[in-house]
Amino acid sequence: ADYLDNGNNKMAIQQADKLLKKHKDLHCAKVLKAIGLQRTGKQDEAYALAQEVAALEPTDDNSLQALTILYREMHRPELVTKLYEAAVKKVPNSEEYHSHLFMAYARVGEYKKMQQAGMALYKIVPKNPYYFWSVMSLIMQSISAQDENLSKTMFLPLAERMVEKMVKEDKIEAEAEVELYYMILERLEKYQEALDVVRGKLGGKFICQLIITVCMAMYKKLCRWPECNALSRRLLLKNSDDWQFYITYFDSVFQLIDESWTPPLEEEHSLEGEVHSSIEQAVKFIEERISEESKSSRPLRGPYLAKLELIRRLRCRGCNDEYKLGDPEELMFQYFKKFGDKPCCFTDLKVFVDLLPSSQYTKFISQLLEVIPLSAAAESEIALPADIKALQQHLCVVQLSRLLGIYHAMDKKQKLTVVRELMLRYRHGLEFGKTCLKTELQFSDYYCLLAVHLLLDLWLEEGEEMAVWQCLTLLEEGLSHSPSNAQFKLLLIRIYCRLGAFEPVAELYSSLDAKHIQHDTIGYLLTRYAEALGHYAAASQSCNFALRFFHSNQKDTSEYIIQAYKYGAFEKIPEFIAFRNRLNSSLHFAQVRTERMLLDLLLEANISTSLEESIKSMSLSPEEDDIPWKDLRDNRDLTVLFNWDPKDRDISEEHRKLSLEEETLWLRIRSLTLRLVSGLPTLSHTVQPKNSEKTAENGVSSKIDTVRSLLQQLEAAVDSGKKFLEQKIQYPVLGPPPTRMAGFFSNGSCQCQTSLFYLVSDIYELDTNGLEDSAEIQERIGNSFKSLIERLTDLFNKCKGDLIEIRDGTLKTQPNLLENLVFFVETISITLWVSSYCDGVLRPFKSNLQKKKKKKKETNVAMPPVFTHFLDYVTELQTLTSNVIDHIKGLEIILTALKLEELSLKDTLLLQEEKKFTKTVQGKVQSSYHHSVQEIGELLKKRLDTIKKLKI
Amino acid sequence: AAAVLMLCMFAVMGKAEGSVAREEWHGHVTALSVAPEFRRLGLAAKLMELLEEISEKKGGFFVDLFVRVSNQVAVNMYKQLGYSVYRTVLEYYSASNGEPDEDAYDMRKALSRDTEKKSIIPLPHPVRPEDIE
Repeated sequence: ADYLDNGNNKMAIQQADKLLKKHKDLHCAKVLKAIGLQRTGKQDEAYALAQEVAALEPTDDNSLQALTILYREMHRPELVTKLYEAAVKKVPNSEEYHSHLFMAYARVGEYKKMQQAGMALYKIVPKNPYYFWSVMSLIMQSISAQDENLSKTMFLPLAERMVEKMVKEDKIEAEAEVELYYMILERLEKYQEALDVVRGKLGGKFICQLIITVCMAMYKKLCRWPECNALSRRLLLKNSDDWQFYITYFDSVFQLIDESWTPPLEEEHSLEGEVHSSIEQAVKFIEERISEESKSSRPLRGPYLAKLELIRRLRCRGCNDEYKLGDPEELMFQYFKKFGDKPCCFTDLKVFVDLLPSSQYTKFISQLLEVIPLSAAAESEIALPADIKALQQHLCVVQLSRLLGIYHAMDKKQKLTVVRELMLRYRHGLEFGKTCLKTELQFSDYYCLLAVHLLLDLWLEEGEEMAVWQCLTLLEEGLSHSPSNAQFKLLLIRIYCRLGAFEPVAELYSSLDAKHIQHDTIGYLLTRYAEALGHYAAASQSCNFALRFFHSNQKDTSEYIIQAYKYGAFEKIPEFIAFRNRLNSSLHFAQVRTERMLLDLLLEANISTSLEESIKSMSLSPEEDDIPWKDLRDNRDLTVLFNWDPKDRDISEEHRKLSLEEETLWLRIRSLTLRLVSGLPTLSHTVQPKNSEKTAENGVSSKIDTVRSLLQQLEAAVDSGKKFLEQKIQYPVLGPPPTRMAGFFSNGSCQCQTSLFYLVSDIYELDTNGLEDSAEIQERIGNSFKSLIERLTDLFNKCKGDLIEIRDGTLKTQPNLLENLVFFVETISITLWVSSYCDGVLRPFKSNLQKKKKKKKETNVAMPPVFTHFLDYVTELQTLTSNVIDHIKGLEIILTALKLEELSLKDTLLLQEEKKFTKTVQGKVQSSYHHSVQEIGELLKKRLDTIKKLKI
Repeated sequence: AAAVLMLCMFAVMGKAEGSVAREEWHGHVTALSVAPEFRRLGLAAKLMELLEEISEKKGGFFVDLFVRVSNQVAVNMYKQLGYSVYRTVLEYYSASNGEPDEDAYDMRKALSRDTEKKSIIPLPHPVRPEDIE
């Protein structure tokens, strides 16, 4: 066993063998050997050996535990349940084995059996947790039940009765048990009963869960606004800085007003005490909170923000200033004076800028600027902050200016002036952060980021080419001073990708140290571009990061669930299940699954292994669709990049919806392409025993039906995709990146690929029909060959042009040429797979003909035209591919020869130290293009070699 | 804004039966983070207070946490909140990008149940990750 722990599996196997020689039937040694086998890749032997032991239904602890480990490593948790089912049958009073059995069921989600196992345990050892394991399993049955009625009329009431029984017998011990009771009542919508439980004796068990939060939730469910109001009022008296209670307080006041609620004359207002039910009371209450705040030892933001919130709500109801709360502009100004030096000031005020009339924006901003203590060294110079507080205040104003659209309204020259000013302030602000650690952010980082946002506007809205290089320059400079700033990295990633340069991105992303769920939420930043830009190795790696996470999710969540049972954290269990489902139906998961397989085929199929073997090793089949289309959910974090844009420029719900729609359409096209390719090997009947020809024929003919139906679906998907693109949606610059779909349609790859699959259908027809009387099909195939070559040539033409060049002193790039080149390689690969199918069909025909020729010794047996068509086609394919390879070689030469040092940069506003960074970023882009072109070229060369095998 | 994320877990050290007797029953901070713009508002202190309160009610002897030795900002903050370094755990954090693994401080604060504050007496020697239960 020590050897196993140390990872020395071979030694472990040897030792186990030694032991087995002495003691033939030492189960445990056998299992240990099996673990060794499993870990050395001998899965089948390991399984056989394990089953040998399992068949004996062992009851010794060592064997059971070792088998459990083995089955888990084999990803066969269901076998563990069988193991312990047998063990408890033999040792029916073992608490340990019963509890292992329960956990084994928990791992595979066998809720009904868990319920029984829990009760069985409780009967052996009447410990409360066992009883409640059983109750929880009932809740899980209710959650997983398809039929909601069944869950509400059977599972939950049963669970309720089980708990009630314990309550009556006064056996409730732990907080978890009361929580479980509450969970059941809440799910049954018995809110009143839940409230009674929590407010009663049992509520006293609550420690982690706060009674008031639970009560508040129930009051809301029951629409008991007087109680909501009184409770939140009381809580605000205790802590006037808790925002959620202000929200409840306001909600309830206005609800009560709308209901014309009046307090009862005699009794208490409510269960929770005094109730406020008029605007006057609310205004007075908030004003009191503000005057209380002045006595507080540390300034509290809550009361001031609450006042603004109240104004906002009153305005929504048509009240302007009847209640003398004050002018929002003045209140925000006061707020800024008090909290402007806190980094959160901008976010706090952002919510309330709608209260300002747009005519006041400029005035408001200058009002704020006036109160910041800035000092200029000379009249003409920019006034700078003298300390961190002043810097924060100024930064807040800059952020607000962007939010109010003040920069957006500027012309090009003004924008550039602001950029210069912001960068000056940025560099000056670094003074204050000299003692900052590497892991801390610099105080002035946002200045740099805001300057870059302005430059992005110049680049994308005003077509200022130079601006993009300046963006990268400033960000690289910023990153050098603040190496932990994730925003710098994220923005660099987006911009480099937009420029078609993936090479720097891999390192930036890895320095973000994305973990766990982030592979799902921000992984798209990598996977959208890596393959599209021809960085195939990096693309594989990016997919692997994500897939490793998604695949371990299944196992990990089971582990969390087990822990939750052990520690009685019952309310977490449904959350873990929901989390697992959320990941399993992730759009990104489906995308990386599909793209990973397409990529593997692209890199390997018919190069290192045959297409057929590749597809088999991926267990792909054209009939199978494992994507949960209906439940597909977008887990991407589309707001991971900061922005300070006004609402009308920000990412909206509509953008999210459209982006998900676009991604789904594109995924459908990709997934259908993959399935169509996986259908190719199923069509050829190379190995076919003669006597079963008939059945095999049937089998294949159903395969062609599958392929034809998939082709129809592809056509439909392409149509929907085209319709979608007709809307010409422009996402915000930092919003969701558009998919590759537009390029796929416009460069002609789409037409090539669909016509290839039609060709498959025709060739199949020729195959089943035979050569005789097939002139029409042969001609059709011949025409397809010709038009295919034309289309591929068109696609190649779309790849021509200067990827990068120096024009008018600036560096110009055309990254779309790279994307087109990648599409070309993919399309030519599919072309070759189809051609190889074609070759497989024609070859036997030809050899048959030649045999006939020899037999009859006739010289005038005419070769059917399809052979010539095919040969011509293959020759042209070869020429075309060679041309593309030459073109790529040309690109490589240009990229190597391009001397960026010759770029003068003299005409720019760049400072000397900035020029250094500019050279670096331009060098990175150049090197990345070179890398792309090399990888694409190498792959294409390998593809060219496979063409040579096609000459029948 | 998603300002704060905190995962608290009540962890038991050692075997369930022995834990209380050995005075090792305690609250453990798994992670604590505050978004940059919401720092310097006392949010972390509030969250720690909440965890300590719960740990008190659950009858814990102390609250503990692990922190990177290099994370001076966090170490100082915890010190201000009454935590002290109990021991150093060598190479607790495995590094990516080929940098060396980093040590952790195991910091503790005694709760009222530990009347003699025995749980926080610093260990004289650093320990290896495999030696901590």
